[in-house]
Amino acid sequence: MSEEKGLKPIKIEDLLQRTVYDVDEDPHIEIIDERGVPKELTMLCPCSCYTTVGEKLLYSYEGCLECGLCRVLSEPWGLRWEYPKSGRGVQYRFT
Amino acid sequence: MSSQTPTKFDVVVVGAGPAGASAAYLLAKAGYKVLIVERGRGAGTKELFGGKIYAEPLRTVWPDLDKEAPIHRWVTRERISFVKGERVTTVEFKLGRKVAFTTYLTEMAKWMTNKAVESGAILVDEVRVDEIIVENGRVKGIRSGPDTIEADVVVDAEGVNRILLEKLGLAEKIKPDQVALGVKEVINIGKKAMNERLLLDEGEGLAWFMVGDVTAGIPGGGFMYTMKDTIALGLVLHIGKAYEAAKTGELKHTVPMLLEKLRTHPFFSKIWGDADVLEYGAHMTIEGGLRYMPKKLYMPGLVVVGDAAGLLLNTGYTIRGVDYAVYSGKLAAETIIEALESDGPTEENLRKYEERVRESFMFRELVKHRGIEKVMEDPMFFTKLPAMLNILLAKLYEQDYEEPTVLEALLDSVKESDVSLSKFMLKLFSVVSKL
Repeated sequence: MSEEKGLKPIKIEDLLQRTVYDVDEDPHIEIIDERGVPKELTMLCPCSCYTTVGEKLLYSYEGCLECGLCRVLSEPWGLRWEYPKSGRGVQYRFT
Repeated sequence: MSSQTPTKFDVVVVGAGPAGASAAYLLAKAGYKVLIVERGRGAGTKELFGGKIYAEPLRTVWPDLDKEAPIHRWVTRERISFVKGERVTTVEFKLGRKVAFTTYLTEMAKWMTNKAVESGAILVDEVRVDEIIVENGRVKGIRSGPDTIEADVVVDAEGVNRILLEKLGLAEKIKPDQVALGVKEVINIGKKAMNERLLLDEGEGLAWFMVGDVTAGIPGGGFMYTMKDTIALGLVLHIGKAYEAAKTGELKHTVPMLLEKLRTHPFFSKIWGDADVLEYGAHMTIEGGLRYMPKKLYMPGLVVVGDAAGLLLNTGYTIRGVDYAVYSGKLAAETIIEALESDGPTEENLRKYEERVRESFMFRELVKHRGIEKVMEDPMFFTKLPAMLNILLAKLYEQDYEEPTVLEALLDSVKESDVSLSKFMLKLFSVVSKL
């Protein structure tokens, strides 16, 4: 595909600003053992919640769209994966 | 949960999506005490789909659908584009009949759930169900945190990400090649601009499927649906293959960047220009419904409906999930009513739900198209065929003086797109026989 012509790209941080969240104070997803969580999630997570700092894989739950992709690709012992409680998390309006 | 909520119901429905709402509506209408438990803030807030719903199966539940439902536009045009770089080959079909409409599933789920509530069902939202309770091999109710609610029957309508069924042992952990990732942007183009640019009349809609370079070699495709005054633009990507491509380094862009590339594509972006993105979302969908179906869709006191039951048809170019969900909810409600009127929700009585599913159009369709996801995973179809088509047309049209005969152009395009003609014909046969 050719490069963008004229249209301004939107950074993922800005794109996620368009979506409404009610972020819980407690994370609903946590890395327990990163050996059971693939680094490829930095490419595949649709909200870029996974990043690496050096060799370390980090996850931030704030922008999570609750799709479940990381649960599918990780070992059950690698992640604690739950939906947010009390109606928190992403609040879709037009999807 | 409030103290006014009774703790024993005839039926507890987990999830206020299309499947749960349909079951809850029919059960409440028949006079049963129904509780819908939804993890989101109100119905619909956790819902995301492409954009198109086939109406007829929904009319069997809500005959007044056409008048009452939040229908955005009736799909009157279907477009398929094959993309290779800047070259795009498009086929457009003008339908002779209206069979499907576009809407926001957030709105639609709210409408369906309201129908259930108007009929007497109770909706408890902001409650995440943590467990389906089983005692002596029989489902007894649900647990959310420290609270439990008893029910004669639990309807599991938890969706594609079936955490509860896995805990229950009715479904195995999801495998990457069973699911696809959908990402979607809602773009605020405005009604007037949309109708002018897409040549649409008031209330008429377009469904657009894009195959080829838009998914960067990953099986799947792009989609665009016209809503009332916005468009839904998105990608569906095969998760197993995307994971492989990320591991080998073939995947050069992150998933959000792939969607960004589609949004800024020099050809497609002419439609929406730099109109505002109102919302961005992601959701999983099913690749190959039969492979995703749990071994059993019932046990004493439980039935499984909608996505959780694998009841979604994904042929690659069309995904039918919402109508299947609603229809499975209807079959579940009919079975539950019969069971509660006779000797209860026993194994024997609820088995009839699965029998109804297997006798329905849904199962016949899933069997007919069985294996299509495997064929569609072949790079021949999502990469080479779009390339070939575009090379063929380039040979014919991008000439200054002399153009080849169609046969010469065809043979050259086959060679240049690295397609073996005999293999192609064989593959084509397996596709058209399964589509």
